Amino acid sequence: MRSRRDVLRSAVLGGGASVVAATAMGSLGPEAAFAATAPAPAQKVEPGAPDPDFAEGRIRSIKENTLLVLGSNLVFHTIRVVDGTSLWKLGPVAFDQAKPGDGLYARGVRMPDGMLAAESVWLNIVNIKGHIKNITGQTLHLDHNGHEVLCHVVAGKSVAIHSESPPTEDLSMLKVSQHVQILGAWRPDTNEVDIATVFSPH
Amino acid sequence: MNGIAASQPYVIAFFLLWAGLMKLLSRRMRAQAGQTALARLTGPARAVPVLRLVGLAEVAVATALLLPPTHLFDGVAAALLSAGFLAYLTYAHVAAPTASCGCLGTHAKPVDARSFARAGLLLAAALITVLLAAAPGLVPAVTLPGGLPEVVVLAEIAALLALSSELDRYWLVPLRRLLIRLRRPLALAPTGSVPLEASLHLLRRSPAYCSASAQLTSDVRDTWDEDGLRFVVYGARDRTAVFAVPLVGDDPRAVKVALVNA
Amino acid sequence: MARSTAPDPPADLLGPVQGEVSWFCCGTAWGPCSSTGKGACGTCNSGNLQHAWPNTSDACWAITRPDSCGVGLSRRTCGFRHRITALCSGSSVVTAIADCGPQTDLFCGERSCCGATCASNRLIDLTPAAYSQIASLSSGLRPAEISTA
Repeated sequence: MRSRRDVLRSAVLGGGASVVAATAMGSLGPEAAFAATAPAPAQKVEPGAPDPDFAEGRIRSIKENTLLVLGSNLVFHTIRVVDGTSLWKLGPVAFDQAKPGDGLYARGVRMPDGMLAAESVWLNIVNIKGHIKNITGQTLHLDHNGHEVLCHVVAGKSVAIHSESPPTEDLSMLKVSQHVQILGAWRPDTNEVDIATVFSPH
Repeated sequence: MNGIAASQPYVIAFFLLWAGLMKLLSRRMRAQAGQTALARLTGPARAVPVLRLVGLAEVAVATALLLPPTHLFDGVAAALLSAGFLAYLTYAHVAAPTASCGCLGTHAKPVDARSFARAGLLLAAALITVLLAAAPGLVPAVTLPGGLPEVVVLAEIAALLALSSELDRYWLVPLRRLLIRLRRPLALAPTGSVPLEASLHLLRRSPAYCSASAQLTSDVRDTWDEDGLRFVVYGARDRTAVFAVPLVGDDPRAVKVALVNA
Repeated sequence: MARSTAPDPPADLLGPVQGEVSWFCCGTAWGPCSSTGKGACGTCNSGNLQHAWPNTSDACWAITRPDSCGVGLSRRTCGFRHRITALCSGSSVVTAIADCGPQTDLFCGERSCCGATCASNRLIDLTPAAYSQIASLSSGLRPAEISTA
C-alpha cells in the first residue's frame, strides 16, 4: 500500500512515468485526457425504467468478495466488490465494514451472468430533508415527513455547510425549526443516523 | 365536582369555536385543504366544501353550548362531533399517515399521539357535559376545597393547548431555543483535525475536479494525509485519479490532480 | 389562495435552467425511506431513472413554491422527461418525473459551485440510480443544468 501511495503522491506532485495528464498549480495543464472528448453516448436505459447498472437493497449475506443483496422490490442482486471498488459508510471504508443487514446502493457494470461488478458501493447512505425539532446533547431531532429521525454528530467527521461558506465542524449555528438536508449513515433497524454533512440554506 | 363538570361546555365551546372559525375564515387553511387527510377521504374537489361544512357545524355546536340553558342535546352534539373527530384522526393515521389533519390550523404535521390525546380529552369533556345534563344526580356532590375546581379547569385548558401542535411555534420552539442557548448542546471543542468531508467539499469546488470529474467512475477509494496535503484517490475507468487537497486554506485553485495509468 | 402559476414566464420555457440537484429515496425501501411510498405519480423507485419536479400539479406547486425564490417553472406531469447535466463534468442523465419536489422555498437562495460555475435554488431531486450517474451519492448536492429531453 505504501509504495502505491508513493507512486500516486509523486504523480500528483511532480509527474511520473505513468501520468496520463496532470494539473499544474492553480491552472489546468494539457487537458486532452480530461476533457469529455466525445458527446455522451446515447443513454441505454429508457428514462423511468430501472437502471441495470445500479442496485438497491439490504445485504443478506457476504461470501468472500461478493455481497448478496435483497432489493426492496424483492429482486436479488449479486454484487462483486474488487480492489478498485469504493465503499462508503460515513466516509471511505474497507470491505470488512460491510455487514449483513446494511442497506446499500451500488453502481457498476452488469455482467452477462447477472452479477453487478461494483465501482462504488454506498452503505447505509441516506439523504433526508426535514426541520429540526430539537437539539439535545450531540443529537439533532429531525422531523422527516412526520417521523422523528435522531441524527448524531460524530466528532471529527460531521460538518455543516451553510450555503456558500466553507464546511465547519461547529454545528452550534443550527437552530430549532429550521429546515436542513442531512447526508449520513443510517444505523440499521433504528431511526438513527450518523451525520456526514448538514446542508443548511442559511 | 359540579364546578368542574359545569365548566366543560365552555372548554369544549372554546376549542370548537377556534376550530370552526379557522376553517371558515382562514384562506390559507382552505388553500392547503388539498394536502390534508380530508382530501383523501372526500376527494380533493370536495375538500373545501366539506371543510366549510364541518366548520359551520363546529361553530353551531359551540354557540349552542355557550347559550343557556344547558341542554342535553348540546352535549350529545359535542360528543358526536368529538367521536367523529377521533374516527377521522384514526382514518387519517391509517390511510394518509403523512398528510396533515387540517383540524385547527395550517401546520403541515401529520396526525400523531398528541392529536389523539387532545381529541380524547375533548370527547371526555363532552361526555361529562352529557352526564351533567342527563342525570345531574350522578355527578358526585363532593364539595372540593375552594379554588381547586378552577385550578383543575385551568390545568385542563393548559393540557389541551399544550397538546395543540398548531401552537408549538408560540411556546415550544422558543422554549427549546432558549434551552439550547443556555445549554449549548452542540458546542464542541475543535478536534484539531480537518474532517474528510471538509476537504472533499473544497475538492468538489476546484477547477481540478471539474476537469477530471467526467472521467471518475467511483467514489473515494483511498485517502491519506502527508506534508500538509490530503491525498484523495478515485477510480477513473481503468485508470486512477489522484487529487492533492491542501489541509489549510480555502482556495479551490490550490487543488491538484493527476490521472495515472495504474 | 396559492397561485397556480408564477407571474413571469417560466424560466425553463425557452431554454435550459440552472439549479441545484439533490437525491431522495422512494419506493418502500430500507432506512428512513421505509415510510416513503411510490411518490405522487405512484411509480417512484430508488433504482429507476426518475426525478421529482416542483410543478407537477396545483397542489404540488402549493407545497414547493419555487416562485417564492423568484423562479417560475413550467407545469410538467408524470412521465415527462428532463435531461439533467452536471455543471463542469458535463455528464448527463435523462429521467422521467415520478414525484413532486423538492421544496424549493425552504432552501431559497442556497448556492452550490463547481469550479467557477455556480447554481442557485433547489429545482430538481433525482433518484439514487439517476443521481449516481452524474455525481457521487456522498456529495449530496450539486449544481446542474436542466433541459427538456
